[in-house]
Amino acid sequence: MLASSMNREKAFFLVKFLLVIALLYVVIALNPVNDHVIVPFTEGITSISAAMLRGIGQVAEVSEGTLIRTTGFIVDVKNGCNGIEAIILLIAAIGAYPAPIKQRLFGIIAASIALQAINIVRIAMLVWLGAHYPDIFQLFHVAVWQTVIILISVLLFLLWSSRIAPQRLADSR
Amino acid sequence: MRRNAWLTAGKALAGFLLGLAIWWGMSPSYATLLSKSVEPILRLSEKPPVTRLRAEERNVIVNRSDFPPTSARPGVPAHDLTFNLILLTTLFAANRGTFSNRNVAGFSFALLLLYLTHLLGLTATIKSIYALQLGEWSRVHYGEVSRNFWAGASHFYRLIGLYAFAFAIWWLCSPGASTISNASAGQTRGWKKGKKRRGKK
Repeated sequence: MLASSMNREKAFFLVKFLLVIALLYVVIALNPVNDHVIVPFTEGITSISAAMLRGIGQVAEVSEGTLIRTTGFIVDVKNGCNGIEAIILLIAAIGAYPAPIKQRLFGIIAASIALQAINIVRIAMLVWLGAHYPDIFQLFHVAVWQTVIILISVLLFLLWSSRIAPQRLADSR
Repeated sequence: MRRNAWLTAGKALAGFLLGLAIWWGMSPSYATLLSKSVEPILRLSEKPPVTRLRAEERNVIVNRSDFPPTSARPGVPAHDLTFNLILLTTLFAANRGTFSNRNVAGFSFALLLLYLTHLLGLTATIKSIYALQLGEWSRVHYGEVSRNFWAGASHFYRLIGLYAFAFAIWWLCSPGASTISNASAGQTRGWKKGKKRRGKK
């Protein structure tokens, strides 16, 4: 009985999760959203990453909004590098999870800020890696950091779902 | 940090490194498997069937018998479509009872499902090449709706789909004893109980 109830919960979560993912993808794929939200957001992330690199003594100039130029290396921060995909995954997971709306909003906002802070470190580190160790840049760019960012997104969802949501629910009773 | 949390982090790190090694080491062979699996899928929708796929290192090279003999053949870096294996391996490694029969069986089934999503990803990528990147030929053979559909499918898979599929497959195939399943079940049950109690008042 409990097992079938858990399976039902799992299946229900999955359906909602995949629906929210598809919906959010359609939203960010719309040209007005891309031009007025995603692109300016990516440019902001690029500027902060370049400032971080300058803060640790690296040469880093931003041009054309999303290009970071450093000594002998240029990185173009595109969709997929701006952390939006990790935030979408997080919103879909938290959105599909049974919790009151306030707790969901709290989880989404807090975790998104944490994710973007880590994403800025990721971009800065990748630029540094590309300038100093170009042979392993691609491996870290494609496989390591992409996976790490998504893992952190999953971890933040787990923390929220296993601790914050039940605790706050208990407080609200 | 509690001892359990350190243990989980250690298992996740080991799973991550193992997944990375398997993904990188196996990607030439896996590109061959994918090219042999996706070729018949693509040929199903072709009259006459013309697509031929072959693996070159980590890339899948797309050939068609109606391509001009001297033109370049497009290639798809298959490892860019399959690195969510690392994510899946890490998540299963971090589960409670990593080497329990249920977790190993769940992981085996998850690998099968992940392979099916890789077929979808490669199919969508090659169809988007046909629909968008072959100049006049693309415009003649694919209408606006088809072009948008295949471009969207390929972009969705690369941007978010490959992560979402890996996470969803893990969620689906993880045994009930996994951390997340317990959290989910406990949370849901607790919430429902709370609602019931409030209802009685």
